[in-house]
Amino acid sequence: MKDIIRILIAPLVWLASFSAVYGLHGLICGHGVDGAVFGVIAVPRFLLVGAYILAILIQVGLVWALHSARFGSPSPFVRFVSRATGWLGLVSAVWALLPTVTTTYCL
Amino acid sequence: MNTLQRHRKLSDIWASEPGPRGLISTVNHTDLGRMFLAVSFFFFLVGGVLAMLIRAQLATPQSAFAGPEIYNQIFTMHGTIMMFLFAIPTFEGLAMYLLPKMLGARDLAFPRLSAYGFWCYVFGGTMMLASMVLGIAPDGGWFMYPPLTGAIYSPGINTDFWLIGITIVEISAIAAAVEITVSILKYRAPGMSLDKLPIFAWYALVTALMILTGFPPLILGSILLELERAFGLPFFQTEFGGDSLLWQHLFWLFGHPEVYIIFLPAAGVISTILPVMCRTTLLGYGWIVASATGLAFLSFGIWVHHMFTTGIPHMGLAFFSAASTLVAVPTGVQLFAWIGTMWKGRPSLRMPMLHLLGFFFTFVIGGLTGVMVAVVPFDWQAHDTAFVTAHLHYVLFGGFVFPIMAALYYWMPHVSGRKRFFRLGELAFGLVFIGFHVTFLAMHWVGLLGQRRRISTYLPEDGWTTVNLISSIGSFVLAIGIAMVIVDLVLHAFTARRSRRDPWNAGTLEWAMMTPPPAYNFASLPHVTSRQPLADDSELPIRLARGEGYLSEPEQGWRESLTVEIATGKPDFHIIYPTNTRLPIVMAAVTGVFFVSLLLKFYWTIPLAVVGVTILAWRWAWSLGHRTDLPLRAVGGGLDLPNATQVARSPSWWGSVFLLTANATFFGSLLFGFAFLWTVAPAWPPPAWFGASLLEWAVGILAAGLAVVSIRRAARANARGDDVRIWLGLTFLSALLVAGATLGIVVRAPTPAGHAYGATLLVLGGYALFHAALVALMVAFLAARVFRGFTSPRRHADFPVVTLWVDYLAATAMLIFAVAHAPGLLA
Repeated sequence: MKDIIRILIAPLVWLASFSAVYGLHGLICGHGVDGAVFGVIAVPRFLLVGAYILAILIQVGLVWALHSARFGSPSPFVRFVSRATGWLGLVSAVWALLPTVTTTYCL
Repeated sequence: MNTLQRHRKLSDIWASEPGPRGLISTVNHTDLGRMFLAVSFFFFLVGGVLAMLIRAQLATPQSAFAGPEIYNQIFTMHGTIMMFLFAIPTFEGLAMYLLPKMLGARDLAFPRLSAYGFWCYVFGGTMMLASMVLGIAPDGGWFMYPPLTGAIYSPGINTDFWLIGITIVEISAIAAAVEITVSILKYRAPGMSLDKLPIFAWYALVTALMILTGFPPLILGSILLELERAFGLPFFQTEFGGDSLLWQHLFWLFGHPEVYIIFLPAAGVISTILPVMCRTTLLGYGWIVASATGLAFLSFGIWVHHMFTTGIPHMGLAFFSAASTLVAVPTGVQLFAWIGTMWKGRPSLRMPMLHLLGFFFTFVIGGLTGVMVAVVPFDWQAHDTAFVTAHLHYVLFGGFVFPIMAALYYWMPHVSGRKRFFRLGELAFGLVFIGFHVTFLAMHWVGLLGQRRRISTYLPEDGWTTVNLISSIGSFVLAIGIAMVIVDLVLHAFTARRSRRDPWNAGTLEWAMMTPPPAYNFASLPHVTSRQPLADDSELPIRLARGEGYLSEPEQGWRESLTVEIATGKPDFHIIYPTNTRLPIVMAAVTGVFFVSLLLKFYWTIPLAVVGVTILAWRWAWSLGHRTDLPLRAVGGGLDLPNATQVARSPSWWGSVFLLTANATFFGSLLFGFAFLWTVAPAWPPPAWFGASLLEWAVGILAAGLAVVSIRRAARANARGDDVRIWLGLTFLSALLVAGATLGIVVRAPTPAGHAYGATLLVLGGYALFHAALVALMVAFLAARVFRGFTSPRRHADFPVVTLWVDYLAATAMLIFAVAHAPGLLA
C-alpha cells in the first residue's frame, strides 16, 4: 500500500491544495475580505499568493521526498512512476494556481 | 490427478447451475461479465434508437415528428442511457470478465458483490426504461439542473425517476469499483508485482478509484434534490438559503471525472490491443501508468469549466481554465506512447486495428475542440450550442465507442472460442466512421452558426436546414454501420469456425486458457515473471492445465484462490470463495423495493425494505468464515498460506477501506455543500442558529472516543483468548450514545423546510445517526459471531473490519458535532 501512496500522494496533495485555494478565493469574495498588509498589498492578494507559494513549497517537498533514499520506493518501477507523478503535482501547482498572481480576484 | 480429472473436478466445483436458474444464482465473474456486457449493449441500442429519433426531429425545420415534451424526454434519456446505462456498465462488464483472467486469478474478490451490483443495475435500468415506455421519462436534460428540475417547475414524477433510478445504478457502480480495486490490488498470480501488472489492470484500477471518489457527489446531489422535491427541504431554492449552483458543483464534481472514467478504460483497451496489432510491446509502460494516474487527478480539478457562464469571478475561471489546458499533457503522453508503439512495431490492419485508427482520428479532434472550450472567451461563445454537443460526442464516441468496438473484435474469439468468418466488420467500420464524422462535423458547424443544443425545432430562416439534414443523413449511415456490427457479431457467435487458443499471438494471461474459458479460469495458478507471461513461455497454458502451478489440487470442494502482497506480488493468504446463491438478486430486489417505495411515495414499505436488507446483509456476512481454526494450506511450490479468516487485513477489511473511501467522499461533499451555501447563497445567515448543547456535544465526543478504545480492547482480548463480551458491550453502548447525541441534531434542527441551514443539519445528523446504527448492528453481529464460535485467537479477521467502521463513525460524528454545535455557541 505504501507504494500506491507514493504514486498517488503528489497529485492528491495538488488536488487538495487546488481545492483549498479555490475555497479560500470563495471565502474572500463571499465574505468581502478587504484591507491591506504593510499598507501596500491587499489582504486578499496576500492570502491567495501566500497559499499559492505554500502549495508550491509542499509540492517541492514531496518531489524531494520521492527522490530521497529514505522516502523513495525500493522498487525501480514505483520510484519512476512516483517521481513522474511528483513532478506532475509540482507543475500542476505552479500552472493551475498561477492566476493568484495574474488576475483580479473578485471581479 | 491427471489433466482431464482436474478439469472435471474443477468444473464441478466452479460451474453455475444449469439453465435459467444459473442466470439468477451465478456469482462467477465470467458469467456476470458477459451478462453486464449483454445488458449494456442492449442499452446502447436503445440509446442509439433515441439518437435517431433526435436526428429525425432535427432533419427538417419546424418538424412535427415529436412535440417538445416528448423530445425533451428523448434527448434526456439518450444522454442518461449512454452515460449511466451503457458506458460505465460496459467498463464494469469488461473489467469483470477480463481482470481475473489477465491477473492469473480464479475470480474477483467478492463474487456475490459482483452479482448484487449487476442486479441493481438491471433493476435501475428497468426502472428508467419503464418510465420511457409509460411516457413519464425524465425530461430535464442528462444533467438535471435545478430550478428547472425542482418541484415547482417539474412537478411530475419524471425527474424522480432519474434521481432514484440513477442512484440505484450508481450503487451498482460503487459495488463494482470496490470489487475491481480490491481484486487488482490483492487477487493476482504470485510474482505479479506492480511493474508486471497488465496495463489494462492499471487503467481499471485508476478508473475504479475514480468511480469511488467521483460518484458520491452525484449520489449526494440526487439525495438532496429528491429530499427537496419530496419533503420541501430547500437545498437549491435561493429564497430559502439554498442555491441552484450547488447542484452544478455537485453534478460536475462527478460529471467531469465521469468523462475520464469513460475514457480511461478505453485507453486501457488501446494500450492492450495496439501492441498486439503492431507485433511489439507497449512503449513507455511507466510513462503511461504515470499519465493515467495524473489524468485521473487532474480530471477532478476542472469541474468548474462546465460552469464558465455562471458568473464566477475571473480568478476562479482562470484556475479552471489553466487546469483544463493541463489535461492535454498526460493525454498527449499517452497518445505519443501509442504512436511510438506503432512506429516501433509492424502494424497489421486487422479488424481491431481499424477501430483503433478510428479512435486516433476522432479522439484527437475531440481533444483539440476540448482545448478550445477550455479557453474561457471561446467557451462563452460556444456554451450551450451544438458545438459543445459535437465536441463531447467526438470525445466519447472517439474515446470510448471505437476502442470498445476494437475490444469486441479482439476478445470475441476469447468469449466464443470461434474465429470470425464473414467480413462484414470492415464494411461496418467504414459506415460507422463516415457516418459519425458526417453527423458530428456538421454538428460543430451548425453550433458555430448559433444553433443551441436541445432545441426541439428551428425556423427555415435560421439557415441551419442543410447542415442539419447532412447531420441527420450521417447519423442514419452510422446507425446502419452499428447494425452491421451486430449482424457480424451474431454471425460470428453462431456460424464461425473454431478458433485456436491465442489467435492474435498476444502475451497476456487471458489467452493462457481454453476458449471459451472454463468457469475456474486456470486449472492451476501461474507464477508470473514478466508482463508478457504467455509470450515468454508458449508452453504455459499446457503446464497450467497439467497442474504445474499453484492450487492444482482442489480440496474439500472449495472454490479456492490466493492473494498477494500489493507491491511485491508475494503470496499472502488463501481464499475460499462463496458458491452459487440467489442472495444477491434477492437483496438487489429488496434494495429496489426501497427505492421504488421512495419513488411512488409508499413510505410505509420503506421500513420493511430496510429490515429486509438488514436481515439479508446479516445472512450474507454470516455465511463467511469457519468455526474451527484451519491449518495452513499447502498451495504448491512449497508454500503454506493461512486462511483469510486468520489474517489482520482480510478481503473484507480491504473492501471496507475502499467503501469507506467512497463514503468519506460523500461526507466531504456534504461538508462542501454546507460551506458553499454558507459562503455563497444569498439568504444567509439563517433566521436562527441551532440551539447548541454542551452536554450533547460532550456525550457524543466521549462516546465516540470510548467506542474507539473499547473495540480495540475487544480485539486485544480476543487475541489473548480472554472474554470479549464486556468490551463489545461497551462498544455497542457507545454507538447507541453517539446515536442519541446525533438524534438531538436531527430532532432540533431549526425549521428544515424553512431554510437550507436546518435542512443541511438534518442531513448531517441523519448521516451520523445512520452510521451509529450501522456500527451498533455490526458490533451486535460480531458479538453473535463470537458467541457462535466464528472467532478465536487465530480467527480474528472480523475485529479489524468492525474497528475500521467504528473509527470512521467516531471521526465523522466528531466533525458533525462541531459543525452543528459550534456556530450556535459562538453566536
